[in-house]
Order: sequence, then structure tokens, then C-alpha cells
Amino acid sequence: MNRSQISKIIIVGLALPALLLPGVCLAYILFKGLPALSWSFLFSATEGLGFGATSGVLAQLLGSLLLALLASLVATPFALGTALYYRLLASKRQQALLAGLLNMLQSIPPVVFGLFGLIVFVHLLQWGVSLLSGAIILAMVILPMLVLNSIASLERIPGQYTEAAQSLGLHHGAVIGRVWLVQAWPGILTGQLLGVARALSETAPILFTATVFSGVVWPESIFSPVTTLQTHIFYLAQEGSNPQVIQVAWGSAVVLLGLVAAFALLARYLANRYENPQHLGAER
Amino acid sequence: MLKFWLTFSSLTTAIIILAVLGFLLQASWPLMQSQGLSFVTGTEWYPYEQLYGMLPVLVGSFWSIVLALLLAVPTGLAAAILCAELLPERGRAALRFSMELMAGIPSVVYGLLGLWLLLPLLESQFDLLTGRSLLAAGLLLALMILPTIMVFSESALRAVVTEQRETALLLGLDWPTRLLRLLLPQAWPGIRVAILLALGRAMGETVAVMLVVGSMDRLPQPLYNLLQPAQTLTSRVGREMAEAVVGSVHWAALISSGLALALVAMLLSLLTQRWRS
Amino acid sequence: MRHRLLILSLLFVLIPVAQAAEQLRVAGSTTVLPIVAEAAKYFRQQHPGLSLTVSGGGSGVGVANIDRGLIEIGMASRDLTATEKQRFQGKVKQVAIARDAVAVAVSKAVYEAGVTQLSLAQIAAIYRGEIKNWQQVGGPDSRILVIDKEASRGTRHVFARAVLGSERARAPGATIITGSNNEEQTVIANSDKAIGMLSHAWLNDAVRAVAVGEAGAAVLPTLATVADGSYPIQRQLNLLLPQRGGKMSIAFVGFLLSAQGQQIVQQVGYLPVH
Repeated sequence: MNRSQISKIIIVGLALPALLLPGVCLAYILFKGLPALSWSFLFSATEGLGFGATSGVLAQLLGSLLLALLASLVATPFALGTALYYRLLASKRQQALLAGLLNMLQSIPPVVFGLFGLIVFVHLLQWGVSLLSGAIILAMVILPMLVLNSIASLERIPGQYTEAAQSLGLHHGAVIGRVWLVQAWPGILTGQLLGVARALSETAPILFTATVFSGVVWPESIFSPVTTLQTHIFYLAQEGSNPQVIQVAWGSAVVLLGLVAAFALLARYLANRYENPQHLGAER
Repeated sequence: MLKFWLTFSSLTTAIIILAVLGFLLQASWPLMQSQGLSFVTGTEWYPYEQLYGMLPVLVGSFWSIVLALLLAVPTGLAAAILCAELLPERGRAALRFSMELMAGIPSVVYGLLGLWLLLPLLESQFDLLTGRSLLAAGLLLALMILPTIMVFSESALRAVVTEQRETALLLGLDWPTRLLRLLLPQAWPGIRVAILLALGRAMGETVAVMLVVGSMDRLPQPLYNLLQPAQTLTSRVGREMAEAVVGSVHWAALISSGLALALVAMLLSLLTQRWRS
Repeated sequence: MRHRLLILSLLFVLIPVAQAAEQLRVAGSTTVLPIVAEAAKYFRQQHPGLSLTVSGGGSGVGVANIDRGLIEIGMASRDLTATEKQRFQGKVKQVAIARDAVAVAVSKAVYEAGVTQLSLAQIAAIYRGEIKNWQQVGGPDSRILVIDKEASRGTRHVFARAVLGSERARAPGATIITGSNNEEQTVIANSDKAIGMLSHAWLNDAVRAVAVGEAGAAVLPTLATVADGSYPIQRQLNLLLPQRGGKMSIAFVGFLLSAQGQQIVQQVGYLPVH
């Protein structure tokens, strides 16, 4: 054996965990969680003795979706506005500054936003542990990725489109509305979907700011707390002791994973379908 | 109107950063006031006795992060090399997809895996009283940051220009030499960014760590003992935040852990951006 | 894009923006949680318009959140401390709804190897780190996994006062810290060398209680020994509510103290107060 082969074997050996572990993790989760799944598990609401052993996760499913969608709804105007500002009005220096700030915001751990939300939304503004507090906290968590995604998809629009529109005498608003958004919407939507997927996977920031263990199926108002799959799994994992409860935790994990995957795959599909910008406009 | 919307939204990023820092600083003020800066080196955390020593969690966070990086960097880098240099197109796509999948698993699900797969394994392998330990936290974190390291390193490796590769090939250099002399040095700026990003992720991870670390506020004895239950900055915040009285020194001490996390993360981000440009 | 916005705004409309009219949020001790969760089921049926949420967190959370006004009723598996009483003077009242024993629980393997009784002094020595092997108290030759609880937990207050002399005493012998009853129960059940403190309603085949006291005069935690006061580590389970609690909070507490409520207490495994 020569040096080249030996070194290749070493590389493969080192990389082995990366090759095997994703499959192992996924298989183990499915192996543990799939048996728990059933129609009634998905579509009935928890009303068990304290620790939801026998019941469904409808309430948690709804809560997770509500929080994530609401977060994306809150973040979108700001994200889109920032991205358009970046492309339309910002000077080179402002662009650099904005990119720097966005990266910085993205680097802050989600749990820190949870603490911030606890201080400001829950206590200072007296919103309490509520859907609203959680949604805004998650909006802050996903804002930078939405902005960066929108900027990227705006940048993919060929320059001549913009130039043509501007030479027709269209003003900023019309350029944005008639050219940019028409051209970039699949990219922006992809970003939104990924943002929702990300918001669905966050647990720490909403643990003390938006969720309770049980008692909510559909929140009474945006000032009511919700239950979510993420926190449900967390509580059951930490506190559940009998096998039934653990089964519910694994089942919830599969549901959550399915939800995240659904949004991520939809995003991927959109991105693939509209990858070539020349074909855009014609679709709608 | 349009201009106002755009300008205002573009300011939100800066506003959020300033607001987060400002409010956290203000909320952690009671701690600075009552303890000065001595809490950083205090070894005892016992809120009932007004002891707010941060050293045990700093050590705990340090070890869990270092361990995660030590495990994930070689593996992730090797996988990136494999992906960028050795695998055919289809294998490459499969590996990348599996990494994306791994990155997509929510952290609380990793916690569940840690609790029910990793802990029993550690207990039987090392004959431990309990598997909850810094080792468990480090292993779990390694799993979670592996995709970050792999994906970013792979892009960095693939960005090394073809011309140079061909020159090296013409010079008759064999594969390991090309790897060590050309590819890795050329890709290094990108790889170190990958490591920094992974470090940031490991540092801020909360729920998964909280489930497996054991929540013991005590310095490891000896300091390098990774097989004992311990506590990290984030796991302590997760455990105690809900029960601290608003405005108390205890509350301030927990908020200041968050502030420390935010500051370090922002420093890392600055460093990342300098290295990138 | 437009469709999605439409759907999203529809969702938004379905959630009223105003504060719900009747809201009853309960949080705190995981020992009290099963009683309240069970009672909440009946109470919701009686008051269909009411939003009644229940979550755990521990007695510390119950006390802190009632203080912050985040909840309408707090649950605590201990009595308020002197400092808390002082702070709550005239603002928060404490209502006992049940009585309970804090069991000294050990893993099944330890129990079956012969550790069925421990004196308070022995338990204290284990938690202080002076006894580290089960052999020293007549058990198998294995190290002891000493489970302590988060300092704010009600069970820990009661246990530490009875065993270590003060509710805030430290336990240098502890190996690991857990939070709720369930979490601790899980750790004890999954181990074969653990000792911990646990509400006696959480005992089962894998988690056994030892009799507490000197050999010959040791007492097992049962409803009877709690009732006659002979078991040394016992407590009241309390609800905390503002002195001027809302109509619904008072009605809910009233329900728990009623015959039906007290029956739930018994069903869950605690001793009724009436």
C-alpha cells in the first residue's frame, strides 16, 4: 500500500462517525417514535393526569405551528424592508455595516433572546407568559436569516431587469413591486419556510416566556400561553418516568421532526423549481 | 412612506442588538453592585447564602465546548475532505443531505437521544454512578456541531481554485502532500470560520446540555475530571431562571450569564467577519 | 405569497387580541401538580368558559411567579419561609390542601440487598458525604449515588430541615442534582445504587422507601403514619393565592377543599386535610 492509499483510509476512518451517525440518530428516533403514532395521537388533545401518558399531541402541534408562523409573520415586514433597504438605498459602507450587524445578531444564542423577552415582554410590558412574547422572541431569532436570504434572492435578479425598469422611468416603489418581488418571491418564500423550520426547532427561548405544560388547546388570546411540541418533549424527557410517557416523548419527537422536515423540504422544492431566474416572471 | 418603512426596518437589527445588551446589562447591575467583579472567580454558587461564584460553570462550559470541538473538528474536517475530494457526485450529494438532516434535528430531540441512548451507554462503559457528566454534554454537542463544521469546511475546500490543483498534479505531488501542502492551507481561512461558528453554537446550546449535564454546581475534582456531573452557563440559566425573584441578586446573576454569552458570541462574530474578509 | 398571507391573517383573526375574560393560571410544585391537574379536569367541565392552565417548575417557581403576578394560583409543597412570609405580608395567603410524607427512597437493588431502614443520622451522614458506600449501612458493596434536589424545591426544604437541621443546609455528599419528583424517580429507578428524597406518592416497585428511625423504632412513610404524626419527614401541600384573589381562584380552591376535591387528593395518593 502506498502513502496515498493509507492517507485516504485514515480520512475515511476519521469521517466514519459523520457517515454513520446521521443514519443511526434518525433510525433510532423513528424506531422509538413511530410505534407511538396513530390518528388519535395526532388529532386529540392532551387531557391526562398531569403527565399526558395516554393522550394526543394536537394542542402541542397547534401551539408549535402558531408560534412559528406568528414569528415569521412578525419578522417578515422587517426582514423584507431591511433587505430592500440594503439593495436599494444603502451605500457600500452602510451595506458592510448592515451585513456586520446581521451576522452579529445571528451569532447571539437563542437563549439570550429568551432572557431578553423575559425581562422586557413578560415583565416590563406585562404581557406575561404568552403567545405574543414567544412569537416576538422567535421573530428576533429568525430575523437575520430571513434578511440574509431575501438579500441573496434579490441579488440573483439580473441587473438588466432593474436597469430596464428604471430606464422606463419607474420609481422605487414600482421597481420593487413590479420587478423585484415578482422575480424574487420564490427565493424570499424559501427563506420564510426555512425560518419557520428554524423557529419550530427552538426550545430554550420559549421555555419561560411562552409555554405551559398543559391546559391549552387553542389559545384564548395572544396574551395566553400555549403548549408546544418542543417544550412537551423537554418536560416529558426530563420528568417522565414510566414507559408510556417516554413513548409519548418519542412520538412527539417524530411529529416535530416531520414538521421541520416538511417546511425544509418544501423550501428545497421551491428553490430547485425556480432556481433559474430566467424562468421566473413567466410562472405568474 | 416606502422610504420610511425601508429605513426603519433596516434599523431594527441595530435596535435589537442595542436593546438586548442594554436591558441585560441593566438587569445584571444588582450583581455587579453587590459582588463587584469577585463573582467571576468565586467557586461556590449558593443563592440562599448570597454566594454567586461563576467559576464552576465557566469551567463546565469550557470543558464541554473544548471536548465537542476536539471530537467534531477532526471528524467534520475528514468528512469535508472526503466529500470535496474523494467521493463521486452522487455520494457527495448523499453525504451533504445527511448532514443537512442532522443539522435539522431540533436540539431538544438531541437531548432526548442523549438522555435515553447516550447516558445508559456511558454508565455501562465507564462504570459510572450516573452518566450525566461533562463527557455526555461534550459528546452531544459534538454531534450537534458536526454538520456546521462539515458543511462550511467543504465549501472552503471546494473553493480552492482548479488551476492550483492542476499545477500541483503536474508537479507529480502525491495525494497526501497535495492535501497537506495545498488544499488545507488554502482552505484554512474558511475552515477556521467553520470552527468559530461551531464554537458559537456549542456555547449557546441550552436544552440538550441541560438534560444530560447533571446540574451540579461544583468544580470538577480534579479540574480535568469529565466524568462527574457538572453545570454550564446555559444549563444553569435553564434550570434556575423561572424561580429567581425578579430584581434579586440571584436574578441578576442569571441574567449576567446571558449577557456574558451574548458578548462572547458577538466578539466571535466580529472575529469571524475579520477572518472572512 | 398572497395566499399564504391570507391564510396567516385568517389564523390571526381566530385568536382574539384582547385579554381572555376568565383566566386561571396555576404553576409550581410538581408534588402538588397531580392533584391540581386532576381537579382541573373536573373544574373545566363545571366552568366551560374558563381558561385554566397548569404547569410545574417546582415550589420555587410557584412562589416566584405568584410574587411576579404571572399566575393566579401558586403550588408549594412546603410552607413559606420566614423571609417569604415577611415579603408576602397581607398580600398572599397560603391554603393547605393535603398532607404528604417525604420518603427516603432507594433503588430496588439496594432495598433488596437489605437496606430497609436508615436512621436520620445515617441519612444525614450520606448527604454530608461521610458515608459513601452502601456497605457502611448494611447494604451491598457499591458506591452511593446521592441525589440532591435543586435548592428551591419544596421537597428539599422539608427534607433538609428534618435531616440536615436547616432547610437551606448544603449537601456536600450529593452526586447529582435533579428537579421534579418525576425526574428524581426516573434517576432512582434507572440506577441500582441510588438514594433520594421523594414524595411518597411517587414510590413504586423500582423505587422503594426505607423506614426512617433507629432500628426497631423505624417508621415507614404511609398515609397512616403521616396521619398520626409518627413519620418524621412530613409536610403540608399548599396553594398560594393573592389575599384578594379573583372569583375563580377562590372557587377553585374551594373545589379542592370540597368533598370531591379531597377525594381527588386521596386518589392521587396524599392525605386529605379534612
